[in-house]
Amino acid sequence: MDTCFNIKDLDLYYGDKQALKKISMDIYKNKVTAFIGPSGCGKSTFLRCLNRMNDLIEGCRIDGTIMNEGHDIYSKNQDIVDLRTRVGMVFQKPNPFPMSIYDNIAYGPRCQGLKDKKKLDEIVITSLKQVALYDEVASRLHESAMGLSGGQQQRLCIARCIAMSPDVILMDEPTSALDPISTSKIEDLIMELKKDYTIIIVTHNMQQAARISDYTAFFLLGEVIEMTDTDTMFSNPKDKRTENYITGRFG
Amino acid sequence: MIADKKYIKRSKSFDRFFEYFFMAMAMLSASFIVIIVLFVFTKGISPFMKNYEYGQVNLFEFLTGNVYRQDMQIYGVGFIIINTLISSFLSLLISFPISVLTALFITKIAPKQLSGIMQSVIELLASVPSIVYGVFGSGVITVFVMKLSNLFGVTTFGGSSLLSVVLLLSIMIFPTLTSMSITAIKAVDIDLEKASLALGATKMQTNFNIVLKAAKSGIFAGAILGLGRAFGEATAVAMVAGNKLFGPTFNPFDITRTLTSTMLAGLKETTGLDYDIRFSIGLVLIVVIFTSNALLNYAKKKVGNMS
Repeated sequence: MDTCFNIKDLDLYYGDKQALKKISMDIYKNKVTAFIGPSGCGKSTFLRCLNRMNDLIEGCRIDGTIMNEGHDIYSKNQDIVDLRTRVGMVFQKPNPFPMSIYDNIAYGPRCQGLKDKKKLDEIVITSLKQVALYDEVASRLHESAMGLSGGQQQRLCIARCIAMSPDVILMDEPTSALDPISTSKIEDLIMELKKDYTIIIVTHNMQQAARISDYTAFFLLGEVIEMTDTDTMFSNPKDKRTENYITGRFG
Repeated sequence: MIADKKYIKRSKSFDRFFEYFFMAMAMLSASFIVIIVLFVFTKGISPFMKNYEYGQVNLFEFLTGNVYRQDMQIYGVGFIIINTLISSFLSLLISFPISVLTALFITKIAPKQLSGIMQSVIELLASVPSIVYGVFGSGVITVFVMKLSNLFGVTTFGGSSLLSVVLLLSIMIFPTLTSMSITAIKAVDIDLEKASLALGATKMQTNFNIVLKAAKSGIFAGAILGLGRAFGEATAVAMVAGNKLFGPTFNPFDITRTLTSTMLAGLKETTGLDYDIRFSIGLVLIVVIFTSNALLNYAKKKVGNMS
């Protein structure tokens, strides 16, 4: 099976504090990989390593390698803009830009210099259709995105990400701010999207990980305790700590 | 049940007392505005009344006149209104982009230490008294303008000119505009920036397309405040304006006259109509400020609509 990321011996420090310890894993293409673990275990930090969003945090330092398409994304000649166009990200809180629905989705392509109106129209419409939002907003594409509901906003953010046609979509607890109905819509969407994209999702909802992911990694105190296919993880965990966590004994 | 009924009753009356107390304070400060406007209004309107003791002034001629000569008892402020609008808006035009970019630099680009230093400098500038700006204006800006005019082969009245007023006002409103912009930019949700960067936008694309757009309403509020200061600044402006007797002034090297400089010049050495007419000018100034504020607020709403 093709891998998308090969991570080897990744250490991450915030100042003096080590937040990730010797993380090694492979992430497979066109699969959904879930990171689970209690708060503060480093799963979101690790996710942010994959599109180098940690670069924004002062005092953050990284050792080890993350290979993507045979290239270390932390090597000196890595173009960050190029990396982020290939590895998109959806955040915990829906964060549409204070502009129209259309402009939100066209934002990424426009930043890459795309001006052709026909092309932009096409991208906007296909992206909205892919997240099953088009029918709901077709009549108000040029109205502010702030008027959408929370669930719609999050799907818009996913559409905005898709508009860049990335290889990978990173999702950082994308449903934790949403109601159950919006959550299940997003989950259905993720199942739909994995045909075309590699999806890596951080969640603190174990049922969600069990429902939608193919692989699961369990994080604890900055380490990956166990990583395997999701069915095995939830039916037959190897490590006692994993078992304790997924059976709800802590976390 | 642990509640002490007496205690609860007492704290409730305390609550009520402070509610009224704060309301009284609010009314007091609000009433100052009313009192000031009323006072200026009654005093300013009096020269246009029939029974005015120094002889009635024609309101229409006062508002549209293009000559102001107290020695000949000709009081026309039409050109002065235009002069005031020109100098204030020009200074806003100069100061606005510089302030916004400075604010962006301080909040988003400068390294932490430098940004701290620069922010203190801006605050310091805001606290410099206008008379000090005035001395600087008459000692430095006018000299600069004089040299500049010589380059163009134009003579000025010792450098006092519209250009000097505009430059001085630009400097004076710069701290207001900048600190308001800094506040507005800092208030922009960091998540928006992250979203933009995660979409592969560069830092500069993010700053201009996301941060400034999201902050525009606050920046606009700063522009309104700055413009208010430009309209209202008297001392420093009077020191470099030159107080022309007729107008309006469109030539940047020519002397000019603003509403405030007219009110201020010789205020303490005059009586009668010449004294009273300054209140009328004050009234005009208030109306000009209110109108332009209302217009700008309207524009702000239009601009801020997409957020």
